[in-house]
Amino acid sequence: MNAPLLDVRGIGKRFGGVHAVRDLSFRLEQGEILALLGPNGAGKTTAFNMIAGFFRPDGGEILFRGRDIARLRPWDICKAGIARTFQLSKPFADLTVVENLMVGGFARSSDTAAIRERAEEIADFLGMGRQADTEVQHLTAFDRRKLELGRALSTRPVLLLMDEVVAGATPAEGQEMVALVRRIRDRGITILIVEHVMKVVMALSERVIVMESGRLIADGAPKDVVSRPEVLKAYFGEQYAAARA
Amino acid sequence: MTAHPNRLHESAARLPAGRPRRAAAGGVSPAGLLALALIGLAALALPLVADSYLLHSCIVVLFFAYMATAWNFVCGYVGQLSIGHAMFAGVGGYATVLLFTGLGLSPWLGLPVGGLLAAALSVVVGYPTFRLRGPYFALTTIAFAEMIRIWVENTESVLGIPVNGAAGLTVPLAGESLAALQFNGKAPYYYLIVALLAGALAATWALERSKLGFYLKAIRGDRDAAESLGISPARYQLVALAISAFMTGIGGGFYAQFFRYVNAERLIGVDLSIDMALMSIIGGQGTVFGPLLGAVLLAPLAEITRGTLGGSFLGLHLVVYGIILMLAVLYLPKGLIAPLRAVLARLARRGGAR
Ligand SMILES: Nc1ncnc2c1ncn2[C@@H]1O[C@H](COP(=O)(O)OP(=O)(O)OP(=O)(O)O)[C@@H](O)[C@H]1O
Ligand SMILES: [Mg+2]
Repeated sequence: MNAPLLDVRGIGKRFGGVHAVRDLSFRLEQGEILALLGPNGAGKTTAFNMIAGFFRPDGGEILFRGRDIARLRPWDICKAGIARTFQLSKPFADLTVVENLMVGGFARSSDTAAIRERAEEIADFLGMGRQADTEVQHLTAFDRRKLELGRALSTRPVLLLMDEVVAGATPAEGQEMVALVRRIRDRGITILIVEHVMKVVMALSERVIVMESGRLIADGAPKDVVSRPEVLKAYFGEQYAAARA
Repeated sequence: MTAHPNRLHESAARLPAGRPRRAAAGGVSPAGLLALALIGLAALALPLVADSYLLHSCIVVLFFAYMATAWNFVCGYVGQLSIGHAMFAGVGGYATVLLFTGLGLSPWLGLPVGGLLAAALSVVVGYPTFRLRGPYFALTTIAFAEMIRIWVENTESVLGIPVNGAAGLTVPLAGESLAALQFNGKAPYYYLIVALLAGALAATWALERSKLGFYLKAIRGDRDAAESLGISPARYQLVALAISAFMTGIGGGFYAQFFRYVNAERLIGVDLSIDMALMSIIGGQGTVFGPLLGAVLLAPLAEITRGTLGGSFLGLHLVVYGIILMLAVLYLPKGLIAPLRAVLARLARRGGAR
């Protein structure tokens, strides 16, 4: 039996009186796309931030390739092979697209010419080759989201954490993003994706986990999970779940 | 920037057609090189034609250009404001003088040693503050600089080393002596400051293309995103600050040799710190030539307001600076270099089209 790529064991996080995440455990296998669902305020971004090193868990372990990374800082997590996007995209506004895509390359190499070459390849991969020398502040919101994804890829991750990548996108843009994420997985990158849009989750993931009020309430295949009463209750309220039952 | 349509690229086959590729990565256009060479030649020839007064004024302007360029190396690229950089100049200036008077060490060594001491001080200032987010760096730099100035002004000697309080230190005359870095004419000082400025500009040019430069710009753009891309903001800001402080310390040493005198008010005081910051910001921080442009425009202005009006209205030049700064922030947030660049680019394009 192979060890999982990521093994989250009982992590928790409190903000003052708010117990944002409690005793959360799940596993992520090499090569899979796992979706993390849950209503607003469920603790998804907080869990995400703990894996990415932005929050220090109050307790528990996060094993990545067998090593506990729960207390590493974000830049060390990046070097270990985990990249992330932000729920609200955070581009380097006064740099060009290619320059944005170059920054992460220095984590793996010091050859500037090779890093630039690779950044241009990623721009092409995103379908943004024509905007390579455009300053990011002149891009559309969706292009910034794609750039955020490309920037994460520029660090050559093993595991990619994506927080709501189609938020605010049109259906056509959503489809484009789904296709991109598939191609990223086909390159051998394992993906943990937080997503609200059910269509996207169904199209992408083989397995979903659902959080509510900081707890894990379901884990399984997308079709099974979304018909479970506790999940329906979390999303639509008690009465809807009762009516369906 | 011209495209290279026939540049062989291994992934070219997969590229959409007509994609504008960047010219030689971060290269300088031939026209730009020619302009730089001409400016350089003119600068080197100046002492042959200029009288002593003009040469003195040029040295002062180039000194400010050098100091502003050193300030810009960290502050301009990382988007942090230092209002205490003069403390690094003070360390460099006092160290150069004291090493010469106390140990007989040649200023040629005193300058880099002073620079290293300034870099060491910058680590003490930067280490705790770069961990924090917010305006702590600006506050800490001004607090440290003022503390050091006040301490020097009120200290006659420490551990047997004469600091000489507010009166300052004079450099003992050694006549015309290359070893003591003292000259009767102005030309040698002029060439020295031209060389220092060229070095600082070259360092900034290299920074823009280096890992450190990309990292600083990323931290300036968004600290969280930078961290997620493998960057420890505290570490790289500290490295840049140390290099900037080293250059500033050498500038302080030059000041001591040129004026043969250092005192706390002039060399450590907040005026010099503000000069460095404003020249950078108004000229265009985060660019190679912005601080130089700012110094060329503002240094003479500072001299005029200080010289003709400053006697009766203390600090008037700061009022003038403040007005210019407000105008610049309102109308030219990227500094005066931005419109100048646009004009030059248009000229170059027109020249290239012919
Ligand atoms: N930095 C913080 N300080 C204090 N409370 C926080 C912080 N971050 C999150 N919280 C709280 O923790 C809870 C979980 O928030 P989190 O952002 O993880 O939810 P989420 O599942 O990502 O929600 P959404 O779908 O709206 O993005 C919320 O009650 C939130 O208010
Ligand atoms: Mg969230």
